[in-house]
Amino acid sequence: MTRIGIVGNGLAGVIAAKTLREAGFEGEIEIFAQEKYRYYPRPNLIEHIAGRLPAERLFAFPEGWYAERRIQVRLAAPARRIVLDPLAVELSSGRKVGFDRLLLADGASCFVPPMAGADKKGVFSLRTWDDALSILDYLREHRRVVVLGGGLLGLEIARALAARGAQVGVVEFFDRLLPRQLDAQGAAVLRTQIERSGIAVRLGTATKEILGSDRITGLKFKDGSAIDADLVVVAAGIRPSLDLAKAAGLDVERGVVVDDRLRTSHTAIFAAGDNVQHRGRIYGIIPAAFVQAQAAALNILDHDKEYKGTVPSNTLKVAGLHLTSVGMAVPEGKGFEEIRKEDPDRGLYKKIVLEEGRLVGAIWMGTKEGALPVSNAVSQKSDVGPWIKEILEDGFDFSRLR
Amino acid sequence: MDKYECQACGYIYDPALGDPEHGVKPGTKFEDLPDDWTCPQCGVGKDFFQKVS
Repeated sequence: MTRIGIVGNGLAGVIAAKTLREAGFEGEIEIFAQEKYRYYPRPNLIEHIAGRLPAERLFAFPEGWYAERRIQVRLAAPARRIVLDPLAVELSSGRKVGFDRLLLADGASCFVPPMAGADKKGVFSLRTWDDALSILDYLREHRRVVVLGGGLLGLEIARALAARGAQVGVVEFFDRLLPRQLDAQGAAVLRTQIERSGIAVRLGTATKEILGSDRITGLKFKDGSAIDADLVVVAAGIRPSLDLAKAAGLDVERGVVVDDRLRTSHTAIFAAGDNVQHRGRIYGIIPAAFVQAQAAALNILDHDKEYKGTVPSNTLKVAGLHLTSVGMAVPEGKGFEEIRKEDPDRGLYKKIVLEEGRLVGAIWMGTKEGALPVSNAVSQKSDVGPWIKEILEDGFDFSRLR
Repeated sequence: MDKYECQACGYIYDPALGDPEHGVKPGTKFEDLPDDWTCPQCGVGKDFFQKVS
């Protein structure tokens, strides 16, 4: 095997290429990048929009990184089609480049819910550096911003734009923020914090139409109400890129289907990153892309590395608050006891979920202290014993639960 | 003390500087960082870091 092709120059593509070299592969590695930039970590887009990271620090690795590893990267050279037999990548010029093995790492794209007027000027998604630059450019003379989507990314985009001095509102379709991590009370504490920072929050609201002639002037919602807006960022989730795989006849469901070796339904084609569906799961998170890319690279070289899936971290930061959400954080049905402590002024919300006296779930927001121990206690279904109230206090000694 | 590099984003943890914004004092070795410490730049865990040689 002398030639390995990688479609996609994001985290998965780059880590796969790096792993191939580290594993001793001496042949040709060629990456096809849709964008005209070398690899940059996507979280840096938020950092730059917020004014916390200058453009010069966008990139993760120095300019010579690819050349140092004899990795060929073709910028602004998206694959138009995957050709089978012989295996090759066809570019938009029609030129075909042949390979022995191929890695599909073309990631995902932003989902835009169907609504009239979504193609008007002033409506953006945030996925690429060019998106970030376009948003910042348009923002200069268009200051009333609405972010459609109250999930993690929507909230971070809202805060970043508010940090640039924009007047920002978040519109969320569901009846609370972060529905997967937070229950209604926790989400209310989060909402308070966000509103205190000057960002308006509107829940349970579906957008029907983007108003304006050639550029956006407002939004109309399904309940008939409307608001003014100059700029909209759609943050309604991502969808795996499936076009190349579908056209090549590979197995595709919600993502490109791969086995425990990251191999697609074609023996010489592997996939890793946001485009992948493994054991029925799609991820869209950095740790999954990273580990999948490493495993895929090793399997491409027949080094046999099993990938069993990724356990998503139950800890994240939202609106500057530390948040841990573990186990049955939002239980349904009977038989559960929930005990809470909150301080909305501090953005503090702690809740434990008990089943027959055992810890089966917890939400810990607004403090890091005790988050890891309570997480471990939930994994072990520890008996909370007589400590039902004390466990929520600052500085509780979790070793008492043993 | 060894510096460590985040493999996902290139962030360098320098023990001499620590990570004061997240409660890590200067002079803290990488090995002594808490288990739940994450890359300040991109959020991945300690297991994504590699010693810089």
